[in-house]
Amino acid sequence: MQKADIIKIVSILAFIVLAPVLGGLLEGIDRKISARMQRRVGPKITQPFYDVLKLFNKEYISVNKKQLFLLLSHIFFVVFAGGLFFGGYDMLMVFLSLSTASIFMILAASSTHTAYTGVGTVRELVQMMCCEPAELLVAVGFYLASAVGGIHYASLGLANDPSFMVKDLINVDKPAIMYMPGFFIAFVFILTIKFRKSPFDLSTSHHAHQEVVKGLTAEFSGGAYAITEIAEWYEEVMLLGVVALFFVTNNPISYIWAALAVIIVFFLEILIDNTSARVKWDLMFKASWGVILACAGTNLLVLEILPQVLRH
Amino acid sequence: MEDYGKNIIEIPLEKLAIVAGEEKNAGHRLAQACATYVNDKYELLYSFEEDYAMTTYKVVVGLDEEVPSISRIFFPAFTYENEMKELFGVKIKGIVTDYNDKFYRIATETPFLKKKGGK
Amino acid sequence: MPKKTVIPFGPQHPVLPEPIHLDLVLEDETVVDAIPSIGFIHRGLESLVEKKDFNEMVYVAERICGICSFMHGMGYCEAVEHVMDIDIPDRAKYLRTIWCEFSRLHSHLLWLGLLADGFGFEALFNECWRIREQVLDMVEMTTGGRLIASVNRVGGVLKDITPDMLKQMKAVAENVGRELVPVADTFLNDYSVKSRLCGSGILSKEDAIALGACGPMMRASGIAVDHRKSGYAAYGNIDFDVITSNDCDGYGRVYVRIQELFQSVEIVRQAIDKIPDSEEIMIKPKGNPKGEYLMRLEQPRGEAFYYVKGNGSKNLDRFRVRTPTFGNLAPLVHTLKGAPFADVPLLVLTIDPCVSCTER
Repeated sequence: MQKADIIKIVSILAFIVLAPVLGGLLEGIDRKISARMQRRVGPKITQPFYDVLKLFNKEYISVNKKQLFLLLSHIFFVVFAGGLFFGGYDMLMVFLSLSTASIFMILAASSTHTAYTGVGTVRELVQMMCCEPAELLVAVGFYLASAVGGIHYASLGLANDPSFMVKDLINVDKPAIMYMPGFFIAFVFILTIKFRKSPFDLSTSHHAHQEVVKGLTAEFSGGAYAITEIAEWYEEVMLLGVVALFFVTNNPISYIWAALAVIIVFFLEILIDNTSARVKWDLMFKASWGVILACAGTNLLVLEILPQVLRH
Repeated sequence: MEDYGKNIIEIPLEKLAIVAGEEKNAGHRLAQACATYVNDKYELLYSFEEDYAMTTYKVVVGLDEEVPSISRIFFPAFTYENEMKELFGVKIKGIVTDYNDKFYRIATETPFLKKKGGK
Repeated sequence: MPKKTVIPFGPQHPVLPEPIHLDLVLEDETVVDAIPSIGFIHRGLESLVEKKDFNEMVYVAERICGICSFMHGMGYCEAVEHVMDIDIPDRAKYLRTIWCEFSRLHSHLLWLGLLADGFGFEALFNECWRIREQVLDMVEMTTGGRLIASVNRVGGVLKDITPDMLKQMKAVAENVGRELVPVADTFLNDYSVKSRLCGSGILSKEDAIALGACGPMMRASGIAVDHRKSGYAAYGNIDFDVITSNDCDGYGRVYVRIQELFQSVEIVRQAIDKIPDSEEIMIKPKGNPKGEYLMRLEQPRGEAFYYVKGNGSKNLDRFRVRTPTFGNLAPLVHTLKGAPFADVPLLVLTIDPCVSCTER
């Protein structure tokens, strides 16, 4: 086996084992910071793990046996997407697997046919409609940026070919953020929707004080809900990985910048969560498409034209 | 300021709907309505307000007399009338939204109507 | 033609502070019909007049609800005092006014917090309740109870407030006024908050009259009626304006209540400045009540009615409470029709429901 393959396998395994730990800790930190912003003491940082363990010990009841299978498919595809990402595979595949995971989530939620999950599911579809274009555009953005930025292909013997592969995207001379700040803004914006944070925690929220109670996840009990929580941790780590990808270059010092960026983005999400009310779906739709078109769209145009300008 | 709390006018049952209609036309609002069970009769109070001024009408009806609902004239009366009907057993006819004694979830029928010879 | 679904909303629902049940008929996310039903906490307190004499009924009246406790006790006492022709000592009137305004402060702050929680703004919710805590501390210091103050008696009040305490109460009220400024600013100017409040639950002036709305709900529709102006307790000697808003929507109701908070602070300040020095705070009632009286007063949630009918014996014939929430049920149903489902909790909250009061 080659060295590159070993690294690939190790990083995929590391993701599968460490992501839930990291995700749980992140949620714990999130709760703590939120509590301090609200002048509360807050739970200890390891609290999410106890919550999930307790959920596993609870009885699992569902009106539809298919629910558990669909939920397991959901977590499988989330882990699969994360594995692809950290294994250095295709960005497009990563986001498409993530969409597939969302579809399984929606199927699992709607398998029970209750009123609250019904409303939650419809809202989740709207949320997907807000997120997906940004995700795919970010993948396209990385591709175009790699063409402009000039990938460091000397070691591979290839010259300046654009690529969707994560393993190529981390091997660039200049960080992607230089070429795609608009994509970055759009991506951070949809992260608020992805992390289910106020103002965009419409389909389900981290707390039940909402008109649809828990909406999408209202019908998951015991272990099933624990699975959704863990899937959410995987997803969170993966999406923060994408944030890091904007800053990573072939220079090892760039990883420090990437980590710093991830911390800032994470803090920003908590800050937004605590300084805004939950908006209605139509405003979310307008806002996210507006930001995506204005930021990512403009950026896309520039990236399309720039190579031609540079060539002349 | 005039003491509106004592301003209670007794009217016969037949005039209730007419008075309610007049109050509605004058643009007054329904302030409250309630029932009292005294001397084996119901005393129904209907209060109407215009800004701070308030007029209260008292209708004395027998236990078996039917009372027309004023909820077609004043929509919010439906809550008060359902309450009278359920707690006192006042025979009110034609409530817009009639809960059929399910307004309050109580085990006994007409709990506020003292049983004859019971007290 | 969209499919209609019926969503049972409550009685146990996380955004509802108290049990009320709504059957919501939805077309997609739009409410086309709403049928309220109450009665989960009906205790039949009014019928206790058969067992308790008119002095003991004060305790019952105070326990109708925790938040409105002080004013229920006071409304009952004032009604009986009117029947018995008792003119209570001036100092007692002022003491009642001060406690009334403290009740209003903590009630409105509670409501603001619940509303913030209803639209998912947890930091604001915690901030409102944190401010409220000092108001409760003052109530506890002066009466001995945080919510159920139990200082009203027929003929006056049971406890006096010492000058030191008055000074402290004034300082706390002023502090609440100061701490409220940024909170009010967030409620009235924050973009995401406004996106939820503006234009939700329109209740026009005509509808407000026709549907018998009361309190801040009515004043937010541009009707200037505040029963404190009728001058019960010491309100006749206090200078204040009726706060109204012409917005007719959720934003207007928030505006009215927030301005009333600032107004309450001002009324407390005036009352403490004007309170007469006297030892006398209570007149012992002689004889039994005979006659009837319909007392109106302005609860934090709107006008409340206290009907008392005495027959000359120590037990009353009838004691009846009409609480503001009862009057606001019809306007609530009206505003719910046509509203988006996401607004339902907010609309239920904007009438400031107090279901314990409503069902008694």
